[in-house]
Amino acid sequence: MKECLVIGKANVGKTLFVINFAEYLGLDHIEVKISFPNGFSTVKCYSIPQARKELTGLGAHKTRCLQSVHLEIPARKGRKKLKITDTTGLMDTIHQDVEIRRAIAQTLNVLRQTDTIIHMVDAHNLYMSEASALLGEIDYQVVQFAQMRGPYCILANKMDLPGAREGLQLLLRELPGQYVIPISALHKRGFKEVKAFVSRCC
Amino acid sequence: MVIHKGSTTKISFSASKVTYLLEKGEISPVEALDILRRQEEELIFRGEEKSKLLLEQSLEELDALVGLEPVKTLVRELQAFVQVQQLRRLEGLLTEPLVLHMVFMGNPGTGKTTVARILGKILCEMGVLRKGHLVEVERADLVGEYIGHTAQKTREQVKRAFGGILFIDEAYSLARGGERDFGKESIDCLVKAMEDHKDNLILILAGYEGEMRQFLRTNPGLHSRFPIHITFPNYNLEELLEIAELMLRQREYQLDIEASREVAKILKCNIGTVVENPGNARLVRNIIEQAIRRQAVRIVKEENTGRDQLMTITLADIQGGEK
Repeated sequence: MKECLVIGKANVGKTLFVINFAEYLGLDHIEVKISFPNGFSTVKCYSIPQARKELTGLGAHKTRCLQSVHLEIPARKGRKKLKITDTTGLMDTIHQDVEIRRAIAQTLNVLRQTDTIIHMVDAHNLYMSEASALLGEIDYQVVQFAQMRGPYCILANKMDLPGAREGLQLLLRELPGQYVIPISALHKRGFKEVKAFVSRCC
Repeated sequence: MVIHKGSTTKISFSASKVTYLLEKGEISPVEALDILRRQEEELIFRGEEKSKLLLEQSLEELDALVGLEPVKTLVRELQAFVQVQQLRRLEGLLTEPLVLHMVFMGNPGTGKTTVARILGKILCEMGVLRKGHLVEVERADLVGEYIGHTAQKTREQVKRAFGGILFIDEAYSLARGGERDFGKESIDCLVKAMEDHKDNLILILAGYEGEMRQFLRTNPGLHSRFPIHITFPNYNLEELLEIAELMLRQREYQLDIEASREVAKILKCNIGTVVENPGNARLVRNIIEQAIRRQAVRIVKEENTGRDQLMTITLADIQGGEK
């Protein structure tokens, strides 16, 4: 079974994407394997609304471990199996909380072994941000790292928010040649393209 | 796009050391990922270099084979095709999948299996095949004894060959035995497998030229599914002598003048008389290996043996008697 890692900065919508993508593929309950940085792991079963309520939040770094969900994608006569893993949000600087630093280290460790990389960015924030560079340094590093590895795509999330279209244009101009899929994880828009992408990769 | 010039941190750090430094807060995630990326680049570079070297070695191995010009031309064509497809992919142009199922026709000992084995290695280093190994099978490995057994046996062999080459020797024997024979079931199973897994498997059917042509004529669907047909001609006397020399050189032996004449005489004799199998490399190998064994028996009896004696094959070694 192939593993697909969802990676990106904190608060770009990774966890919500994983939950809603599972729902889009027809699941009403998900079994989430939670792997903690200290090596322990556990499996929890959530209904989709419950998962949305418990695993997502408005603040940064709600996810502080790896959360994997097994998905099945219809393909020809059969179904392709895929493990999709949600990760802790990355950041440019050194975080003061050791727990978050450990979780980021865990994310980078698994990044080296994964088959497919889905890199999520906040298209709305790209337009609204007043920072000098369009993306964070960590995003550029992810792009460079992922290009060397196997299948890779960028999900431009939050396309339902104002300014996201402009943000997407800026992103396309900034990263020419990269496969960018505009999505709204909240409204499950663009999931057909994501499904086609992961189906090709697994 | 911002291109990072790389952090000052050394890339010689192990991944666990990078993780440790990241957890301790001594490096940022950006620096950690930069180190990991450069480590990955280093690995890819080393892998590419190794792959290039192995490809060169395999091509040299192929070039060292006597004759077989059509095969050598085909490999050069494939190499160019794969390179162009890779360039097209980089430019975002449409790329064609490579269908490389082949038919090898020729007498035994004309190099069919040797070429298939080298092809596997070459295609693996070119990135066409994942493993490049050769699974050599014959009718008995594919055809079962009762209903349903054949498909199961054939599928098992196909599975073994995934990522490499499935080489079916004397493939025409699958069609013998008429309508009620299970061989046909095996052919159907192979046809399905070669269509379903064309990017992960190369099927090579091999056998005598006449029988193979008849086999492909009676199974029209098969002919079109094998885009590459290669005929392995019999070796002439000069080529057989060249092969003998090559085999001896590889084994660090040499023939003296009389032995050399005798080998030529034997080969000439065989080419003239054995109608079905007029010239092949296996005959040469047998002569050489037998002579090497006889030379060993002769030499152990002698007390003082120098380097030259250990290397030289005499007329007696070829003829079988003692001088």
